Amino acid sequence: MPPPVERPARTGRSLLTGVLVGVGVAGFVDETVFHQLLHWHHFYDRGTSAAGLVSDGFFHAFSWTAVVVGLFLLADLHRRQATVPVRVWAGGLVGAGAFQLYDGLVQHKVFGLHQIRYGVDLLPYDLAWDVAGALLLLAGLVLLRRPARPLAAPPW
Amino acid sequence: MTHDPAAGPGAWLAVVLPLAVAVPYLAGWAVLRRRGTAWPRTRLLAAAGGLAVAAVALSPPVTARTGEFSGHVAQHLALVMLAPLLLACSAPVTLALRTLPRRPRRGLLRVLHSAPVRILTAPVVVVPLELGSLAALYLTPLFGLLHSSPFLHLLVHGHMVLTGCLVSWLLAGVDPIPRRVSTPARAGVLVLLAAGHGVLAKLLYASPPVTLGAADEVRAGAQLLSYGGDVIEVLLAVAVMAEWYRRTGRRLRAEQRRAGRAVLDVPT
Repeated sequence: MPPPVERPARTGRSLLTGVLVGVGVAGFVDETVFHQLLHWHHFYDRGTSAAGLVSDGFFHAFSWTAVVVGLFLLADLHRRQATVPVRVWAGGLVGAGAFQLYDGLVQHKVFGLHQIRYGVDLLPYDLAWDVAGALLLLAGLVLLRRPARPLAAPPW
Repeated sequence: MTHDPAAGPGAWLAVVLPLAVAVPYLAGWAVLRRRGTAWPRTRLLAAAGGLAVAAVALSPPVTARTGEFSGHVAQHLALVMLAPLLLACSAPVTLALRTLPRRPRRGLLRVLHSAPVRILTAPVVVVPLELGSLAALYLTPLFGLLHSSPFLHLLVHGHMVLTGCLVSWLLAGVDPIPRRVSTPARAGVLVLLAAGHGVLAKLLYASPPVTLGAADEVRAGAQLLSYGGDVIEVLLAVAVMAEWYRRTGRRLRAEQRRAGRAVLDVPT
């Protein structure tokens, strides 16, 4: 029987994986739930600035690529049995929260990219959006303080 | 504005172009089979899929609809993005290098290492080339001029397809290119291209150029360009990362074998 190869836990890689998947999931939820299912967001809004178009294009492209890259990195961590789940979760919450805050504060407000919803009083929507983002980010940062314990065995 | 199908490539292209790739590919595959060398079946399937997509995109029922902007966009997505991606995954250059006789093989290697190919496959060239071509086609009067000249039509579409092949070849990373581009760099190239693609689609939607057709048609086409582009971006990302996953997997297995042997070699 081949002896077990030394498996150093990959703490930093676990965190990066979490951040990428987190950003990707936040982008995916934004696109699926708010654009496609609820039709609250608009494909394009006349108030959008040029900087808003570029920022949106970049983050949209980044979030799609990030979720694919993140999932492959996670598969790689698992096959090396080097995953640190607490770091993946922390990264995921930080990534999703940061994306949500950036989307809510910079893209929606500063760049005037589409609003959360049209024909309603925006304040409660904006508050809910940004508070949700801040809570996710905060939860991720709290989780980051927990000791990094690697996964004892692969989850299958 | 109607796009006269007669001004575009004839129906013969739908047959000749895929065959021009399929015949040498199958010939190479047959050589490997005779030698008893394995060639992944996924690559054969990718080649068949890419050529089928190209044939459908060039077939008369599809080209007849390219007069409307959304029809043009559908053809663009299939011919310039999806078919080249599948073909790049089928590793045609690797197959050629393995199976060509010595002299043509040396010629191919010379071409692969030549200055033009080296320059054309550099990310700093590919990204502006691809985005610049798209902007030139859709944001300038060029698109309107295509109807007047069949030659220009063929030239511009040929250029778009070749640029698409270049992008896919660089991103898929299955075939050798003169200078290896690291996986993070390829992911970065993908993000830049997809972002540019998305911005272009929004620009077309925001102010539809009259050269492309009626405003509503152009808006429908721009949305198709945006969402269809997203789907292909995800496929490209999977191609980039799948190559990385396989490559690092091979290295990991080699390390494990070495580690196993090192323990067995310890004298008792």
